[in-house]
Amino acid sequence: MTDEFGQSDSRPDEILSNPDCAQVPLGIPTDLHMAGVNAALHRWPSVETQSIPMLGKAPFVPAWKPHWQKVKAFRLTFPDGVEFLPPKQEPEDDKPKLKTLKPPKAKGDASKKKPTRLKPPEDALSLEDRLFYVLQPPLQTWLSGQELIMPFEPFPYQYEGIAWLFGQKSALLADEMGLGKTMQTITALRLLLRSGRVRRVLLACPKPLIPNWQREFKMWAEELPIVTVEGDTNRRNMLWKMPGNPILICNYESMVRDFDNMHEDDRPEFDLLILDEAQRIKNRNSRTSEVTKDISRKRSWALTGTPIENRPEEMVSLFEFMEIVPPRGTPDLRQLQKLSEVYVLRRTKDLVMTDLPPRLDRDEHLELSPAQDHAYKTAETEGVIQLNDMGESISIQHVFELVLRLKQICNYDPLTGESAKMDRLAAEMEEITASGGKAILFSQWTKTLDWIKDEMTKRVPEAGTLIYHGGVPTKKREPILDQFKNDPSSNLLLMSYGTGAVGLNLQFAGYVFLYDRWWNPAVEDQAINRAHRIGQKSAVIVTKYICEDTVEERIDLVLQQKRELFKAILGDGDTSTESLSMNASEIFGLFDLKAKAGKGTKKIGPEKSESLDDSKHAA
Amino acid sequence: MTASRETLRLGFLTTVEQSNDCFVGGLLVTNHLGRPLEFQCTTPVRPNSTQKILYGPTLKPFVMTELIGKTLFERADVKPDILLIDDDDLLGLRELIDKPVACLLVESKVPVLVGGPEEEPLTLGRQHLRLHHAHESDRSSILKRSHLLIEQADLEEPFERVREALQEVLNPGGVR
Repeated sequence: MTDEFGQSDSRPDEILSNPDCAQVPLGIPTDLHMAGVNAALHRWPSVETQSIPMLGKAPFVPAWKPHWQKVKAFRLTFPDGVEFLPPKQEPEDDKPKLKTLKPPKAKGDASKKKPTRLKPPEDALSLEDRLFYVLQPPLQTWLSGQELIMPFEPFPYQYEGIAWLFGQKSALLADEMGLGKTMQTITALRLLLRSGRVRRVLLACPKPLIPNWQREFKMWAEELPIVTVEGDTNRRNMLWKMPGNPILICNYESMVRDFDNMHEDDRPEFDLLILDEAQRIKNRNSRTSEVTKDISRKRSWALTGTPIENRPEEMVSLFEFMEIVPPRGTPDLRQLQKLSEVYVLRRTKDLVMTDLPPRLDRDEHLELSPAQDHAYKTAETEGVIQLNDMGESISIQHVFELVLRLKQICNYDPLTGESAKMDRLAAEMEEITASGGKAILFSQWTKTLDWIKDEMTKRVPEAGTLIYHGGVPTKKREPILDQFKNDPSSNLLLMSYGTGAVGLNLQFAGYVFLYDRWWNPAVEDQAINRAHRIGQKSAVIVTKYICEDTVEERIDLVLQQKRELFKAILGDGDTSTESLSMNASEIFGLFDLKAKAGKGTKKIGPEKSESLDDSKHAA
Repeated sequence: MTASRETLRLGFLTTVEQSNDCFVGGLLVTNHLGRPLEFQCTTPVRPNSTQKILYGPTLKPFVMTELIGKTLFERADVKPDILLIDDDDLLGLRELIDKPVACLLVESKVPVLVGGPEEEPLTLGRQHLRLHHAHESDRSSILKRSHLLIEQADLEEPFERVREALQEVLNPGGVR
């Protein structure tokens, strides 16, 4: 049966017979052309094997090693200092009461005070030398009682002076008097010995100052053994040659004599030669100067408060000794200034003692009393006539005698006893005595002092006038000073420049009178400094009496003019203590002396001359 | 026969770093009073850039202790009994030498005491000191000799001298 679509409804398997299957090969017949490689294509490739070793431990080659260049070091060993035996211990009762230094406090301003360090000197060239100074402890540490006992604490400027001296091969310490040159020198010397920089020292000073140096050494450096070269020739020779004496003290005269007598090869050698009052060698031609400069030494120090007394050449002689100017060198003013900056240390009270009360100077110009005036004019006129008559045979001594005579009349008229100065002094002393003050009066004549004492006893007995001069026996001098200091009814002390100007401490006196003027302001200053010194609590009033229209006024003018020259060399602010002693031509210039020469006249007197030594001036 | 005198030698070691990472060291040996006995200083130690990178922050202590401090100490003829330093970085030197090393404490940095006595700074002269943490036993050896030094001794001051000396070495004539 077939449906409408013509399909039969019979079973498919009845309808469909099994299909015929035929295989159709898919391979496309290819013909191989003969190429010559065909055989190789059919050949199996041959495979060969070989063994390869496995990687082992990875090799490591460091590219950087911690290599440092060897560090080099520089070494400086310090010399051993000279050891000294400690000073002998005294029983407690006899022991002087020394003011020990207070140790620095751990906190606060006191401990922060700027210490004084040693600085390498300008001429220290080697590194070792410079490091030696840089590495030293501050002076305050050195001197604060840890190692070196100091009886008093130095002032800051003194520390500076010590540090400066310590480093100087050549030094001129020219501090104004009273500022402690001796103490600074001893301390610097002590440190040099302690640090092994010097081992043998010679100190030359004027004979009268030897006891002073001995005393100062005992006070400031008790442990230092000092030997004074004195006694007869044999003893002195033995002392010069004796080894093991670190410090020798001698006076100029014996030093010159002994060295003159010694064979050149036998002369002792020193690490340090110190000249006190070094103006002794101001004349480079003097034997003292020549011998001193010939002494074999490594360091040369000169001490003086008056490096120039009259002429710059005097300082050149000191510089020659210090070996900073060649022998016979003639440096000009500018060169001297330059050398001074390096090799001279000079401080004045004004600069350093800011806590020192002021010194008030007043020049009192007085008119001579009528009798004095008459006596003065007569003496001057007659004297000048006499001098003129002498012509060329005139000497400084002749002029000098006239000056002295006139100055004495200025003090008082020997005939009548009239004195303008005495009148003023009496008035002033009344006032000072009433207020309980104390005054010192200086004159160059002991005779004048005796006269003043008599007058004062008459006129102002309440002043309790005391007298102290060369005529007073040595044993009585100390009690006089004690009385002046302690007795409230002793208000005036009369002193001569020669005896009273040096070495006394009268800082309790507030008034100083210069009754007559010394030839040299440095000596006057020395006198004034008896009162105006460390320890003075109040201002010191200094009164200088100068009689008008007299030789006193002329002398004052000359000295004032001379100050200007020295200021130029030693610097500003240095106006108080240069030694400005008048020289011969200036003494002649005080009078208009003219000798007859043919039809006219000519000036009498030297153009330029050596200064008059102070000793010549003393009456 | 007299007994030999007891001595105390103090070493003051410091280094100075210059602008170009260059170090110089100085060692001053003094007696108990501050008087110099020996001084040594090194030539400048200048690390190269590789060294700077590789040492990193350990460079400074390394240069200061192993190169400078150790060299100076070993070369010293006068060996200090106590080595004082002014920089903590130098404390490591204690591991390299057999002497007590103590670092000066700046006054403002003295630690406030909070703990036991081990935290208490050591006092010598006017200064307080710090010791290496692994060598606290140095305290007793320092204290044993401290009586030789005066109470007011300023242990800071010698370092100024060393620094000034180093300046003088590096710049001769510089100290005026």
